[in-house]
Amino acid sequence: MSLVQLMDVKKHYMLGDTRVDALRGISLEVEKGEFLAIAGPSGSGKSTILNMIGCIDNPTDGKVFIDGTEVEHLTDTQLTRYRRSKIGFIFQSFNLIPVLNVYENIEFPLLLRRSLSRKERDRMVMRFVEEVGLADRLKNKPNELSGGQRQRVAIARALVTSPLIILADEPTANLDSVTGHKIVELMKTINEVDKTTLIFSTHDTHIMEHARRVVQLHDGTVAGDEARG
Amino acid sequence: MAALKIAIRSLLRRKSRMILIAALVVFGTLLLVVGTTLTRSAAIASQASIIHHFTGDFIVYAARSNEIPSPFSFNTPLPVVPELDKVTAFLSAQAEVEAVVPFAQNYSLISVPAKTGTIDLPFIFYAVDPGTYAQTFRNVKMVEGDFFTSGPGILISRDRQEHYLKRYGIRLSVGQPITLIGLGDGGGVNALRATVRGVFEPLYYANVFNYINFMDAASYSQVYNFTGVASGSLPSALEKGLEAASRSEEAVFALAGSDTGSIDTSKLKSEAVSGYTMVAVRLKSHDTMETVRARLAAQGFPVKTARWDEASSFFARIASGIQAFIYFATALIFLVVAFIFMNTLIINITERTAEIGTMRALGGERSFIRAIFLGETLFLNVASALAGMIVSLALVLVFQRTGLPLPETVAMYLVGGGALPMVLSAGPFLVAFVVVVGVSILATLLPVRVATRITPLAAMNDR
Repeated sequence: MSLVQLMDVKKHYMLGDTRVDALRGISLEVEKGEFLAIAGPSGSGKSTILNMIGCIDNPTDGKVFIDGTEVEHLTDTQLTRYRRSKIGFIFQSFNLIPVLNVYENIEFPLLLRRSLSRKERDRMVMRFVEEVGLADRLKNKPNELSGGQRQRVAIARALVTSPLIILADEPTANLDSVTGHKIVELMKTINEVDKTTLIFSTHDTHIMEHARRVVQLHDGTVAGDEARG
Repeated sequence: MAALKIAIRSLLRRKSRMILIAALVVFGTLLLVVGTTLTRSAAIASQASIIHHFTGDFIVYAARSNEIPSPFSFNTPLPVVPELDKVTAFLSAQAEVEAVVPFAQNYSLISVPAKTGTIDLPFIFYAVDPGTYAQTFRNVKMVEGDFFTSGPGILISRDRQEHYLKRYGIRLSVGQPITLIGLGDGGGVNALRATVRGVFEPLYYANVFNYINFMDAASYSQVYNFTGVASGSLPSALEKGLEAASRSEEAVFALAGSDTGSIDTSKLKSEAVSGYTMVAVRLKSHDTMETVRARLAAQGFPVKTARWDEASSFFARIASGIQAFIYFATALIFLVVAFIFMNTLIINITERTAEIGTMRALGGERSFIRAIFLGETLFLNVASALAGMIVSLALVLVFQRTGLPLPETVAMYLVGGGALPMVLSAGPFLVAFVVVVGVSILATLLPVRVATRITPLAAMNDR
């Protein structure tokens, strides 16, 4: 079975009196180790798909399977634990915790797993700190970092729990193009080295060129699904 | 620990709001601790002052009295204590009893020569056995003369001395002969030549005792001609009628029109009556009060007893009244603190929606979010409460040594006058701690509910 399986997923919500159909019946399968870009213009449903895969939103209709588990019937606590162990998030606005420094932000998901010793946590944090090149910034707070550095922290934080899937919602949208390319290159390297499944949304055509598979969305439907060398 | 770390750092990040809340909590704690300590101290001091200087631990009075006796109130003179000798002998024989002090309150007139003839000055007094009274209740300071060591007569308060001079142009001085005029219950008038033996100032509750003077028991007995007819030598119907007449005015008229039988004068036996209307009983330990009262009641004397606080009129209740006011003021402050804190937390939560959503997305359970906000509240409020307690402790320790200076009138009503000695005890600190923790938790309930309802989607919407 595929790592991610979306079966005729629909999502609509009300905006005042207006019904908005964010997804109009999406079916999609993602295999383990893929480096997938979900592309499309604003409002096409990119973020909504990521929310479904990330178990932070439920479909109005259809089924979502992650690693063989249908997530619809899980309770809030089960979903939280599921996210904690299986999914890493990289956000467009980085979403670092402002009162924690670089080290602590990366360590944060590990602290939520109470079973790990301080030594184990330190080993895991330092491994990814080196990987994203922030060893000299450990004590800095998020507001003391550049956008690119913040996103590197977010990437390390997403990686530190060794999740099955990393979801990145427009990870380069708030970065200049050079930094954006570097970030996507870093994600690509991680995908190649760790075999972590990486799904990211983007509307930037230059960024999506790095992906090995691009799913094009248009008005909540799959307009194209292209594998690249 | 992660939740607590985030909680504390988040507090430090919003210093100005938190300083305002901390200041309110410090003030509230200070008010609660110092206020409660003050009222507890006042209650202790007031009790000690009243027991040691006026009422003893309890007062014995005639069973047929309709009023509870009080050295602080001067209404209709009470009936004399029957079987006084037996009652005092019984009480004196009790191991727990330190002193038995019979006394009476009454009114008379002092008749003195004036330019226009004679003038009658109103005279409110305690009739006391000088030795027993002065030895037990040291509540006056003699400014002239002595406490009846030079002989029987009267003592006047400095305040009354000045009042007589101002109002009547009469200056009473030590050694001056006067005539005491006693008005008996039955309408008879007695006169007695006496001497002013001293002028004093009250040491406690001067607002009441400035109006009160002293007369020695022997003079009192003569002025009021306390000689009665022995119980049992009157016809029983008349005895019963007289008993009823002492209780109500209607019974007096009923007695006048009834056939109570004829009095056989040859069978009448005279009996010396002390005239004392109250017996103050001071105990070695206040804890034995109920035991001794019960033991006295079991003897079947025609007397009743009133606890010191029952006999102290409203003075014993002032401290509890002030305590109620302080509790009310503190409750108001903590209500304001709770309201401000609740709103501040809700504002914080609104500002931190994305942060909370992120934590939820990364796998933070609702209990983790709850722990952060409870941690913030408890850390801030408990730290502020501890600061408030330290300041309070310092204040209480200072006033324990020096006594708390109070405005004269307040001190007079609260403890009888002078500085209030503060009594340090753990109770008020514990109460303050429990109140702060309780208020903190209550004030956090709604904000925590709001925070835990933030979904991980909020993280995605932070753009």
